[in-house]
Amino acid sequence: MGRLASSARLVVVGGMLAYRALFNWTTPAMFVGTLLAAPLLRLAFFVYLGRRLGIADDRFFVLGNTVLAASFVCVYGGTMAVANERRYGTLGAILLSPRGRLTLWLGRALPYVINAILVVAFTLGVSVLVFDVELAPGELLALVPVFLAGIVSCAAFGLTLGAIGLRARDVFLTANVAASLLLLLTGANIPASALPGWMAVGRALPLTHSVAATQAITEGSGPAELLPYLGWELAVGLGYATLACLLLRYFEYGSRRRGTLDTV
Amino acid sequence: MSEPRPYVERVGPYRFLRLMAIGVRTHVLYMSRSPLQLGEAVVTPVVFATLAFYLFRAGGQGDQLLQASVGAGLMGTWSSVLSGSGAAVQNQRWLGTMETLVAAPTPLVLTLLPITVSTALVGSYSMAATLLWGVVLFGVPLTFADPLIFVVALLVCLLALGVVGLLLASTFVFLRNANALANSLTYPIAMLSGMLVPISVLPEWTRPISWVLPTEWGTRAVTTAAGGGEVILPMVMAAVLGAVYVILALLALAHVQDRARRAATLSLV
Repeated sequence: MGRLASSARLVVVGGMLAYRALFNWTTPAMFVGTLLAAPLLRLAFFVYLGRRLGIADDRFFVLGNTVLAASFVCVYGGTMAVANERRYGTLGAILLSPRGRLTLWLGRALPYVINAILVVAFTLGVSVLVFDVELAPGELLALVPVFLAGIVSCAAFGLTLGAIGLRARDVFLTANVAASLLLLLTGANIPASALPGWMAVGRALPLTHSVAATQAITEGSGPAELLPYLGWELAVGLGYATLACLLLRYFEYGSRRRGTLDTV
Repeated sequence: MSEPRPYVERVGPYRFLRLMAIGVRTHVLYMSRSPLQLGEAVVTPVVFATLAFYLFRAGGQGDQLLQASVGAGLMGTWSSVLSGSGAAVQNQRWLGTMETLVAAPTPLVLTLLPITVSTALVGSYSMAATLLWGVVLFGVPLTFADPLIFVVALLVCLLALGVVGLLLASTFVFLRNANALANSLTYPIAMLSGMLVPISVLPEWTRPISWVLPTEWGTRAVTTAAGGGEVILPMVMAAVLGAVYVILALLALAHVQDRARRAATLSLV
């Protein structure tokens, strides 16, 4: 029991401290600009593009881009959570710790999950008001687990990208490419009827199944029909979490062996 | 007692051109060796173009694919300018050269301008990549109304994008993580400039904001040069507004630089 409490403390307190340290540079204005305004403005762009082309209603773009808003936090946050330890020279001190790596790194991802919940809620709330999108209480309730599954899955994806930061120098290249792929392949902005077959590769990415679930909700699907989407989304997340753990372990071992842990 | 003023060299036309030529060459070479810049230049336009092509087709506007291609190319260029402008200041801080550049007799604006123009030049690759992507994979016919005018309009548009980047870079001197904020400006400016989304579908109150953006006139010049229509007026407007933005950048930079020196926050990372 003591060990469990200790691990939980490491995840929560360690994660929060790392988050605070990472965001020591930021100001409330920067937080609002990068994490709250940016997803909302991208959503607006696609809503207006959708209106101009007449391919789907506002609900499609609002819900799809609300799910995608989590990628702003999880992809870049997860990347910075690991890569910035290296940039600021604190990685060596962290890896000197005898604590389990799983709890150590999962703690780093936890604040981004909370952050993403805030961002997604804000994006949905404001966009529903601005674009006058109607959502029934039942639909809103059904959206909650869909958003949560997407966020958890995307946080695991972000941690995988962060793990690459233990090896790659220009880790933001990976993050930018990943964010672009999520924009293109999750189906948040292209209706299913217009999606070409090759975009099915997006099913291996986080958020894709959550985006599909939001569309199912607007088409009137019940809770039971949403379960497969949620299951797939969480399975994708679990896959990335496993991959992140393996990569972190492998790159840590490789960096120690070559003495390149803090090389930037 | 008056405060000592930093020495700022007067720059004549010859020296200006020399600074620009050397600065642009240096930064284009620097960016061409940055995996981040290159990766973004390769991936972003392809993503924008693919999205645009499928969306336009889904909307039954297959005859507008050239316009979609040009709009997506401009978005890729703008994205490159923005990340370059944010990085223009941030990189100098990380490299520890910010104070030296500010202390140098050459006005800081002439150090920043070649950086943002370089990002626009590197970003112009986006346009080429997008057009090629459209031709090869989506069969978009390159039937420009006037190819020569299109090239001229594109150059004017690149300068317009560069000066907006300069104005942003000038204000970014004061921000510690300018590159993070720069990323969030991609969509609003693209939207207000009419890249992919015509400004006519935006709310009426946004129209005056679009009119004062050189990027809107530059975009208008490029898209009309591709599809046919009045090109000269948008080009002139882009050039005039671009000149105004350079003056605004000078004023902003003087103010922001002075504040950063007083508060001793110039090199905070």
